[in-house]
Amino acid sequence: MSASSTRPTAAGESPSTLTPAQKFLRDAATKSADLVHREIIRKNMDSYDAAHMRGRARIKDWEAARRRCQEIKREAINHLDKYLLQFEQKVLERGGHVFWAATGDEACAYIKDLAVSRGVKTVVKSKSMVTEEMHLAPVLEEQGIRVWETDLGEFIVQLRNEAPYHIVTPAMHLNRQQIRDLFREKLGEDIADADPQKLVALARRKLREAFFAAEMGISGANFLVADSGAVAISTNEGNGRLSTSLPRIHVAVTGIEKVIPRLEDLGTLWPVLATSGTGQPITTYGTLAGGPRRLGEADGPEEFHVVLLDNGRSSLLANAEEREVLHCIRCGACLNICPVYRNIGGHTYNTTYPGPIGSVLTPHLRGREFQHLSYASSLCGACTSVCPVNINLHHHLLHNRRDFTSAGGAKSGERTQFKLWRMAMLHPRLFALGGWMMRRSLRLLYGMGLAGTALDPLRAWSRKRTPVPLPSQSFRSRWKKDLGRNSGGNE
Amino acid sequence: MATSNPSREAILARIRDGLRTPSPPLPAQTFSGPIFDSVVNLLERFQQECKANLMECLLTADSAGSAQALAQVLQSLPEGEVFVQDDPALRRLMSASGSARQVRWSSQGGPAEKSQATVTLADALVAQTGSVFVSASCGGRGASVVAPCHIVYATAKQLVPDLVTALRNATADGRLDRNSYACVISGSSRTADIEKILVQGAHGPMRLVVIVEASV
Repeated sequence: MSASSTRPTAAGESPSTLTPAQKFLRDAATKSADLVHREIIRKNMDSYDAAHMRGRARIKDWEAARRRCQEIKREAINHLDKYLLQFEQKVLERGGHVFWAATGDEACAYIKDLAVSRGVKTVVKSKSMVTEEMHLAPVLEEQGIRVWETDLGEFIVQLRNEAPYHIVTPAMHLNRQQIRDLFREKLGEDIADADPQKLVALARRKLREAFFAAEMGISGANFLVADSGAVAISTNEGNGRLSTSLPRIHVAVTGIEKVIPRLEDLGTLWPVLATSGTGQPITTYGTLAGGPRRLGEADGPEEFHVVLLDNGRSSLLANAEEREVLHCIRCGACLNICPVYRNIGGHTYNTTYPGPIGSVLTPHLRGREFQHLSYASSLCGACTSVCPVNINLHHHLLHNRRDFTSAGGAKSGERTQFKLWRMAMLHPRLFALGGWMMRRSLRLLYGMGLAGTALDPLRAWSRKRTPVPLPSQSFRSRWKKDLGRNSGGNE
Repeated sequence: MATSNPSREAILARIRDGLRTPSPPLPAQTFSGPIFDSVVNLLERFQQECKANLMECLLTADSAGSAQALAQVLQSLPEGEVFVQDDPALRRLMSASGSARQVRWSSQGGPAEKSQATVTLADALVAQTGSVFVSASCGGRGASVVAPCHIVYATAKQLVPDLVTALRNATADGRLDRNSYACVISGSSRTADIEKILVQGAHGPMRLVVIVEASV
């Protein structure tokens, strides 16, 4: 069997002549027309929506809970140096190690050197988007170290040599038959009826061998608790617990923004994270790992390392307007509600963090090449409405667009179009003339059956859809004749 | 050996530099009421939440009842070794249960891969979420996750109303300073990664049984 995880991720895509923006448009068109994909996602999202609403109803004052979480994260981020140092001090006191990595490469090098120097042959990983961001698994595998993703969804996408589709449910895009076929091919066992219970049991059996063989466990962190020096990890499967209990070395890898001030803050953050992530009142295991095994403890790792990754986060911190993006607790709620994500799917974004939060974050972490994601939104605000820490996501997408165009990022054609639009908006007669000409010319064009062709200015819409019905008269004339009078207004 | 940290100061300097510009103020909002429902009857709420979490909560009147409950749970399991936290209360309970199973005590190390069950104490029970709060002193890390069945022996006096109280107590009594590990467990191991269908027993216990003794 193979557990190879040299899988493509955002930065590891196969060489292509397409820019990320061109690839995004191509993949979005393909995926949104894929009816099987659409049906799988619809079913999954319906299930999530129902659980999420039930979960929210269990919390007496959901808005107060969001506000409390926002305040906790805001306090932490606005005193980030203080809380990180407090966390570090606690970990060091318990005999742990803290490594500060400016870049993903630096973090990978530290973990690789650690693994090589300790003779590690097998690594078990619990789910960590930060390790995806820094492409850790291929770096370890180049050293001949076998890396096992142990979260079931991650294990499935690892076997498929794919990046995670979703930050909470990495294999959301697959149905049970596809997983059955994958297990038959890669694990050599056939679960004929594709019963999820049996599929899970098979994965459990295979991964158990890895848990007991591994010398190193790598986890992420949902929170770093400053006053306790504990890494808080939420998992339902228990893979996070096994990864941090059985191997002789535990490495927790996370972004610097994950710190929170106090242990008791988890009393609000844990239920809110679980509600937003899966609709559960609380995740099954809220684990707190604070150091290597102590004298007298029955088991646990001999070494405990925390890797704190910056990788562009401190630059985002310096942007006071968008600083709150660092409050994100990675629940995935904004992905689930986003009409764009629901149609184009997670892989189309070609980033570690997809969906609205990824569209806001990625241009900051990966640069202008990913600015097109600021436009992967209808700005409907659904993401903002569900964010459990009240991040104003759709406004930040607008901020990114503004910054991009202000820095000369807009194409000359687009700039000309907006100049013309501005001129028309400032001259009502010109606006009316433009509207009249557009209606006439489109009517003529559509009458000749040329809708959706290269001559059609609305081709982006009409090449795959029924053309928009053309109004017989302008809004202005309708307003004059009828609408304005009925509404009691005047022109 | 101290960790070599070439980027530490540079990262801290960037953070401090970045924070020179303050964040925009939060819009004014006041919430006067509590975020969560207040818990009135701790035991009743704990039982309800256990049921919702697919845990088994067995109420007993005294230690004899607890030993009987433990015996019944152990009888329902396949043959094989059990792992037990080495604590006088659990030595007495195991003895009173009359179980003839081979026992591996936590003083001998962590649980074996083939353990059929683990038996531990808890630091606290959380009524609000139906959770069991354990730390490394409850038999170690693997004690609550390695075997297919985890049995917890606790008393009603250990119930606290909510998570905030449980965590505040853990900070106040220095539990996390004395232990390298702690966990709030709210049910059996589970996954819904395949078509959002709930399956119990993903990697950890398929059964979580809490024996709550009324009087101690």
